Amino acid sequence: MWLAELIGGVAVLILGVAVVFFSSQLSYYSEFEPGPGFLPLWVGVVLIGCAIFVIINILKKHVKIGTFFKPRTKLGLHVLIIIFITFLLLPLLGFSIGLALFVGITMRIMGKHRWVSCGLTAVVTAIAIHFIFGHWLSIPLPTGIIGW
Amino acid sequence: MDLLHNLYTGFSIALTFNNIIYCLVGVFFGQIVGVLPGIGAPTAIALLLPLTFTVNPTSALIMFAGIYYGVAYGGTITSVLINVPGESSTVMTCIDGYQMALKGRAGAALSVAAIGSWLAGTASVILLMTFAPALAKFALRFGPPEYFALAFMAFGLLTVFGGAQPIKIVISTMLGLLLATIGLDVVSGLPRFAFGVPQLLGGIDFIVIICGIFGVAEVFNSIEEPEEGELIKQKMRLRDLFLTWEEWIASRWAILRGGIIGFFVGMIPAGGITTASFLAYLGEKRLSKHPERFGKGAIEGVAAPESANNAASISGFAPLLALGIPGSPTTAVMLAGFMMWGIRPGPLLFQTKPDLVWGLIASMYIGNFLLLLMNIFLIPPFVAILRLPYTIIMGFIVIFASVGAYSVNNNLFDVWMMLGFGVLGYVMKKLEYPIVPLVLALVLGRLAENSLRQALIISGGSLFIFFTRPISGIFIAAGILAYLTPVIRWALKGLQRPKVDTA
Repeated sequence: MWLAELIGGVAVLILGVAVVFFSSQLSYYSEFEPGPGFLPLWVGVVLIGCAIFVIINILKKHVKIGTFFKPRTKLGLHVLIIIFITFLLLPLLGFSIGLALFVGITMRIMGKHRWVSCGLTAVVTAIAIHFIFGHWLSIPLPTGIIGW
Repeated sequence: MDLLHNLYTGFSIALTFNNIIYCLVGVFFGQIVGVLPGIGAPTAIALLLPLTFTVNPTSALIMFAGIYYGVAYGGTITSVLINVPGESSTVMTCIDGYQMALKGRAGAALSVAAIGSWLAGTASVILLMTFAPALAKFALRFGPPEYFALAFMAFGLLTVFGGAQPIKIVISTMLGLLLATIGLDVVSGLPRFAFGVPQLLGGIDFIVIICGIFGVAEVFNSIEEPEEGELIKQKMRLRDLFLTWEEWIASRWAILRGGIIGFFVGMIPAGGITTASFLAYLGEKRLSKHPERFGKGAIEGVAAPESANNAASISGFAPLLALGIPGSPTTAVMLAGFMMWGIRPGPLLFQTKPDLVWGLIASMYIGNFLLLLMNIFLIPPFVAILRLPYTIIMGFIVIFASVGAYSVNNNLFDVWMMLGFGVLGYVMKKLEYPIVPLVLALVLGRLAENSLRQALIISGGSLFIFFTRPISGIFIAAGILAYLTPVIRWALKGLQRPKVDTA
């Protein structure tokens, strides 16, 4: 966790520097009023100040407090990858089928449910998404190659 | 007389068939969300918000308000029966509620929570009816300097109520402000942090961010650290729900005190229902003649925080409706709803949309009564919801978050952004950076920046305008004091530390 906290602090520092850099390219002050760069510049400065404080604090402590990776972190990462693949496939499969497949697959991988239950849930989910969001709420969801 | 007339207007709107159904759906859904660990009121409202584009704003707000205070009721069930808070606002209820359940008084614990919540909630609505219009009238004096000063104070108060690490609260607030600046600057028309991406020119929609940061992030957090507990299998008969005379005597003042604390804490920007329940519990323990009973099943330890969280969830509407300033993440999400429907909450709302304001307030009486009935007669079905596999709940969250993000602009770019914010929310929680300041700063960021600019135009560029006007001066002073609180605490700690004899 110590390293993760340190990386977090450094990430905030980098973000702060980037914000200061990009906002310095916008005008800071126009006649009587702050320009578009005023607020972001100060936000960047405060981020840098806070990040330095956090980093110094972490370096001073150097004690282990908990762990960033927990026993079930891997499972969360699996779900993230499945969501990522699902979103990649959404233009191809459409929302109803893509998200229904996501539900079925995660039920199988995470919940260890039987294939039949997963398949049935996926089918019901696809129908529900199609009719509730697509028809009832009239949201023009992408339909994919199957047209659903 | 005005009050009675307003109440009559409110009930004539809240008691239409359509709005009663929305209220019922809201409180029922809120109760379910409260029972389910890992999903809270802001998440639920954020996920449903994009689906209410076409719904009448009054009906949608009645439903969302129902979810908000319904959650406070529902979270009690898991706190008492499995020692797992369904909601952060019911954490304190676990301490004595679960102990009561172990002693066979689960029914009494749930009952006092429901009755206390109902009494405090109803009293809070009455206070809200008198207080909110007065606050709105007072806020008519506000100009840009006052609005900037109010936002400044709200950010400062986050460092007081936001948690143990003030520096991380400030970082989180800055991230929210930064996100609020993305897109075209309204005054100069210049793009900020858009990097040539056309989808970013209009800024990142609030709904996209909250669907990710509350919805998807919660999925990852719940997978990693599932909140599981053992359900107390106790047959509950109707008579078990009745309080004994001694229990009622012990809890009546706790309900009153909890309600008062909850009402006032709920109105403070960044106060929120969790802080209210926490303070009510601590206050009750301090005032008790037998503080040693707390933690061992004292009924006051259930009555006080439960009354407080419900009262706070209702009083939180006062700053939202009268000032347009959200006091909690849930009201911040609701503010996004107001923006989505093209309504600007604030002092003029009471004059321009009296049907919305009074309809919403009147619906709270109905909603609280419905929840009281649900929590006395329908506890077993709600307990059964706990058996629903988390994989299915998780699937629902991802579906609602994806559809919600997509429906904002009908493009997949927002869906990817939502996932990105989900990962950000997850990492922030792991590294103990609080999410609430980010959300509040995101909502108030534009208001703060625009008010600052307008104020400086009025003053010809002089910052003294914030100090010479009495109301903004008080807000700025309170804000500075709030920002200095961590330093004051640190200094006091140093003074109190016992001197070590080195001789």
